[in-house]
Amino acid sequence: MNDEWHHSSFALFSGDSMSTRSLSEHPLSQAEQRRLRWYRMQRAYEGYFFLAPNISGFLLFTAFPVIASFALSFFRWDLLTPPVYAGTAQFKELLFNDPQFRRVALNTFYFTFGTVPARVALSLLLAMALNQALRGITIYRVVYFMPVVTSLVAAALVFQWIFNGNFGILNSFLWGVGSLLHIPIHPPDWLNSTKWAMPAVMVLNLWKNVGFTMTIYLAGLQAIPQELYEAAEVDGAGGWAKFRHITLPMISPTTFFVIIMSLIWAFQVFEEPYIMTKGGPAFATTTLVHYIYLNAFRWSRMGKAAAIAWLLFAIIFVFTWLQVRYQRRWVHYEADQE
Amino acid sequence: MNRGFWFAVTLVLAATMVLVSCGPAAEPTAAPTEPPAAQPTAEPEVVEPEDAEITLLWGFWGSPEEKASHERVAEAFMAEHPNFQFEYMFAPWDDYFTKLQTVWAGGDPTAIPDVLFLWPTPSYAARGVLENLQPYIERDNYNLDDYWPYLLDSARYEGDVYGLPRDIEAHALYYNKKLFDEAGVAYPTDEWTWDDLLVAAEKLTKVDANGRVSQYALGMEGGKWPIWVGQAGGMVLDDLSNPSKCTLDTPEAIKGLQFFYDLMDKGYAIRSATMSQQGGDQAVFETGQVAMIIQNSSRVASFNANADLDYDVAAVPIPVGGQRWDMNGGAAWVMSAGADNKEAAWQFLKWLQSPGGGESMYTKNGEIFPALRSVANSEDFMGVEKPANRQAFVIGAEAAKPGGFAYFPEWDELSGSIISPQLDRLWAGEATPEEVVPGLCEAVDAFLADNGYPK
Repeated sequence: MNDEWHHSSFALFSGDSMSTRSLSEHPLSQAEQRRLRWYRMQRAYEGYFFLAPNISGFLLFTAFPVIASFALSFFRWDLLTPPVYAGTAQFKELLFNDPQFRRVALNTFYFTFGTVPARVALSLLLAMALNQALRGITIYRVVYFMPVVTSLVAAALVFQWIFNGNFGILNSFLWGVGSLLHIPIHPPDWLNSTKWAMPAVMVLNLWKNVGFTMTIYLAGLQAIPQELYEAAEVDGAGGWAKFRHITLPMISPTTFFVIIMSLIWAFQVFEEPYIMTKGGPAFATTTLVHYIYLNAFRWSRMGKAAAIAWLLFAIIFVFTWLQVRYQRRWVHYEADQE
Repeated sequence: MNRGFWFAVTLVLAATMVLVSCGPAAEPTAAPTEPPAAQPTAEPEVVEPEDAEITLLWGFWGSPEEKASHERVAEAFMAEHPNFQFEYMFAPWDDYFTKLQTVWAGGDPTAIPDVLFLWPTPSYAARGVLENLQPYIERDNYNLDDYWPYLLDSARYEGDVYGLPRDIEAHALYYNKKLFDEAGVAYPTDEWTWDDLLVAAEKLTKVDANGRVSQYALGMEGGKWPIWVGQAGGMVLDDLSNPSKCTLDTPEAIKGLQFFYDLMDKGYAIRSATMSQQGGDQAVFETGQVAMIIQNSSRVASFNANADLDYDVAAVPIPVGGQRWDMNGGAAWVMSAGADNKEAAWQFLKWLQSPGGGESMYTKNGEIFPALRSVANSEDFMGVEKPANRQAFVIGAEAAKPGGFAYFPEWDELSGSIISPQLDRLWAGEATPEEVVPGLCEAVDAFLADNGYPK
């Protein structure tokens, strides 16, 4: 069958006498078989031709830097003098002898596990709310998606002001509530506190990104067949039962995707803390990617930066692999089979 | 279209793609093995720069206003030397050093600035990217004695001068006269001590019912702590170019840190991070959120431009029995080792750092407190109308010594990864100097040992 398809399209494209001939009548002659081979090779070249722009971009801007950074992680290099081979020394130093690395790795985990569950839950909640047939629903959807397209720098500056310990509206609000209830309230100086700076950064991250995952969830929710809910209602299922036994399982492939992507994005966080707190105070909001940046471009330790990048890759890889490995236990693809 | 045509087109395009993707990729791999630093510095002397058409690439950081000021200086030089042309490598402070490292590593002489603004000079000299200026200075009898007493220490490497500092970080206490009048506090004098500052600060700080400070007495960047430590007789390391240990744990150093800590802890001084979130010391001073700031002379031009601001300066207060001490080491003009035309670059450098040349222009513009004493004592500086007590900066400059930063290549990392973050806990009010310093010094000593210091 396959051959026949090739043959026929070959005939169409070549535009020679063969096109008039009926195809399945007799076996091909030797000359025809040669031409057929030639044609197939040519088809392959066309494929490569159309792939070339993408492939060359990938090789140049992704594959080459990836390989180069891997090689670089075994060298000490200050950008200005020739690299010096160091073997795995930089990895060992990072893992066993670098308190700053330990600190930023913990910060990154704190950020990741502080934001991802909240992000998943919040975006599912919003998606379900915005999946109702309400009046002006499009406006609500736009409102929640707006932060995604807002400039992060602008947003971070506004959040800096919100969290300002002295003049910020958050603390003004808390003080206001306090004096209303006659309770003296001493809200923290958010961005100046090693304890509260990271939660503040997390809030910015959630505000900025929930809209995006919400949109993915919205698409997932709309793919759930209404018949399932109707059938469940006939069986007397309430709201919670429908959510627990229909929505959650049916949306699980979306949840799987959202969790994987959110974890990867969270592990790679950089801009939010960089703009809002510059990684401070006292390294409290410095993340792994920020630490890579500091080492590479501030302290001229290119090799060490590359090593951190690969450790970060290893962390992300392990988490993603675990996800994929255990997805069978909770991800259901029934929706696809409908 | 026949097959042959398609095949030919495909082949040619595929080949182009492969070549395109190989070409640029090959360059970065070649760069590390041949850094500009490795090239011999013996250069052919250009004998008559006066006659040839010369284009200098001049690098600096700063705000758009500062860029315009540099360009005016270049124009003045070109008016005197018509055969010179300038190109600029300009970037904001945050990106400048990244950009520099990239062009140096790239090794393309047309992209490497011939003359550039740099800090800290010795770290870069150690990596071989800077031209040693000592031979030029000796040949032309360039006058180094005109610099403030300890200033060139910030631009020397292995005894030779590699950079000509443009300014000196002479600090003064700026004060808002209106806020002092309102609080009924006498204006600061050059004889003020720490105690005088505390007494005035208490009266100048306004707290509302919620315990929120609505007006602070003082705004000062956390990074300026070495001033207090130095005045109390302390120092960050035992040796600034070849350290063997952290000396912040001496009673003198702790006294200095404690003073700054107390200023913030009592609510007299705005916390450093809060200040930067509110636009920095300039913004909080001009808006009357703080009554005083401690800063170098770089604020003078902006404050003079603000007609509503009635201010003056005084010498930075010192502890009773303490010494006058200021941290020196403004950025310096340097020449790249990979400069295209070194004679011309030197000619420009010399002009930049001479009375009547660039130094006078920057000073007149109110941007700098000059590195050259003759310029500081000339009308260029003393002729400015405000602030009235300009002599306060001279007091600072006379006492300005190294100590704000050290002079070995890993300093930036030591400072950025250990010292500043740990001291941040003081400025955030989360720990006292006694709690922070022992662990801080332990980490500094470990860092020094790991990096092979003392060498």
